[in-house]
Amino acid sequence: MAKKITIDPITRIEGHLRIDVEVNNGRVSNAWASAQMWRGIEVILRGKDPKDAWAFAQRFCGVCTTVHAIASIRSVENALNVEVPLNAQYIRNLIIAQHSVQDHIVHFYHLSALDWVDIVSALKADPKKAASIAQSFSDWPGNSVKEFEAVRDKLKGFVNSGRLGIFASGYWGHPAMRLSPELNLILVTHYLKALDYQRKAAQAVAILGGKNPHIQNLCVGGVATAVNVDNLATINMERLSYLKELMKETAEFVEKVYFPDLVILANYYKDWFGYGKGVDNYLAVPEFPLDTKNEKFELAGGVFFNGNIKPYKMLKNHSEQYLINSITESIAHSWYEGKDGLHPWEGETKPYYTDFQADGKYSWSKAPRFDGRPMQVGPVAQLFAIHASDNTEAKRFIDESLKRIGVEIYDLQSTMGRLVARGIRARIMAHLSLKFLDMLVENIAKGDTEYANHTDIPEGEFKGVGFHEAPRGTLSHWIVIKDKKIKNYQAVVPSTWNASPRDEKGAMGPYEASLVGNPVLEPEKPLEVLRTVHSFDPCIACAVHTIDPEGNEIVRVKVL
Amino acid sequence: MDNIVIFGAGNVLLSDEGFGVHFVRYLENNYTFPDNVKLFDAGTLGIMAMHVIEEADYLFIVDVVDVDGKPGEIRIYDKDDIILDRIPTKMSPHQIGLQEVLLLSEMRERLPKVVKLFGVIPENIEAGTTLSNSLEEKLPILAELLVKEIENIT
Repeated sequence: MAKKITIDPITRIEGHLRIDVEVNNGRVSNAWASAQMWRGIEVILRGKDPKDAWAFAQRFCGVCTTVHAIASIRSVENALNVEVPLNAQYIRNLIIAQHSVQDHIVHFYHLSALDWVDIVSALKADPKKAASIAQSFSDWPGNSVKEFEAVRDKLKGFVNSGRLGIFASGYWGHPAMRLSPELNLILVTHYLKALDYQRKAAQAVAILGGKNPHIQNLCVGGVATAVNVDNLATINMERLSYLKELMKETAEFVEKVYFPDLVILANYYKDWFGYGKGVDNYLAVPEFPLDTKNEKFELAGGVFFNGNIKPYKMLKNHSEQYLINSITESIAHSWYEGKDGLHPWEGETKPYYTDFQADGKYSWSKAPRFDGRPMQVGPVAQLFAIHASDNTEAKRFIDESLKRIGVEIYDLQSTMGRLVARGIRARIMAHLSLKFLDMLVENIAKGDTEYANHTDIPEGEFKGVGFHEAPRGTLSHWIVIKDKKIKNYQAVVPSTWNASPRDEKGAMGPYEASLVGNPVLEPEKPLEVLRTVHSFDPCIACAVHTIDPEGNEIVRVKVL
Repeated sequence: MDNIVIFGAGNVLLSDEGFGVHFVRYLENNYTFPDNVKLFDAGTLGIMAMHVIEEADYLFIVDVVDVDGKPGEIRIYDKDDIILDRIPTKMSPHQIGLQEVLLLSEMRERLPKVVKLFGVIPENIEAGTTLSNSLEEKLPILAELLVKEIENIT
């Protein structure tokens, strides 16, 4: 007999996502992903000054603020064909890379680790044994007996006073949990510690962007961060060396704590490289421009079909017509009305709510398609593109990481593979941060202090697209400017690619397809479903977060 | 000297949902605070703004609350209301909710001495960048309330 399970909402994500699965003989046989919140952002931007678009756009989402700012400013620069000075590119690259490091650390520890780590089991751990295990993985100074003992005792206090309630969605003692008490204690200790390191990345973004979470320093044609090594109020030598310190400390955390912890999970849950593949077409765009015309990029992009890690096509820059022309959005199963399969420049946002209809409309997410096909976006796609490119430096991180875990690159197409890919990407981003800082310093040392090309919005009609390879995958903002005002604006975000509902041909989106075939040991505690959904780092994004002190909104797992 | 953080939360693209952020902007434009008072535009950040929370000795959170009552009504909750009583049954759908963030801080022994939530009942959370009248009117009233609160900290 098929059992139908509804999880509403999926917790430990940004935004409101509902997942429905049908379970047959202990396996998921069908799945639906439903974004439960309307995103009215496109409507808000209509009629606004294109120069201000980025400031609004970065409020689209709670956690991915800078990424929308970047994609938005690029869309206007693309429309008007504006060059961006090297210093500005490097400063933006640094913001992007540091934001990624912060995002990946938080995702691994705070948004997904508790799907694999049993806090309650950690109480039984022997701190000495835990320390000796942790020290065998890495020489990080935090892995001391004292530290592990302190965390274990603190946890005991919380459990004894019945106050682990915050982790209500943690399925303690679930038969699918496999780590020993010592490994659980190591991971929980690092979970608490990771908060200090995500902060260092946030500080780096704040120094460069003037403020964090909402950076203040972008302008069409560059950045507003004045560069003058001798001036106290600008990006100067003191700021630059403080930045370097912060970025080095975070990089050390990624190398000596985050990645070794990931190796532990990957080893104990190896079978999870066999679940959760889902849609096996991949899209990544090039990222980190290295020149003023956006022709040369540090990391390549690419299009991959049918699980083939040989690219169907490599993408060298953001102006490739194949990239720009291939994207459309289906609304056949989404709560919108209007014409189906429109290109984002022609895109419409007309809400048409019908309630959840498994065979009809069931999500606020549109279904983006590339060449008519669903695509998976995110770190796996980007690593495929790097692997297929001639960038030996970034590729070395991929090869070395995969070797340590004992898997091949095609194994990344799985639930555990997505976690691993994000960890590898964090290593690459931490490394690139230091590299871009050196490039910035070197460029300033050459005497180049340009940081913005002043740009006025001309009369007439212009179309532009801003692509950005964000932590969750390919992001694009599409803008149509008419008479100095925004005429149309559409954001095609990573989570709409991955959380996509079915399209007019009935093809599932990546979350949905990735759940089919997953084991579910206990339908009342669908831990395995969470593992796969969280592996995408869902960020349904961009919506309300009203506090509800009466506790009306409780996680609901309904089994029919 | 004690660090005081005024933490304005919300999404300014959803009308009244952005009340906390509008409030922080209102304070910036109308008041001058001493150096130990930090105004923080938190947007919809959860756990990623935890370090700001941990920097505070006194934390004043301003946000909209989804409770019964008239739009614009102000409800004040203290630390125990937020992190003790409601926790066992409540999980915010939004990343990691405020309650969890505060309890995590407590686990790290960095919870502010005083935590207060000034909640306002919203009128309209449709797409839009301005507050409804009933909430706009509350900006100066809540500002006075908060300033008094801060003056009482010695």
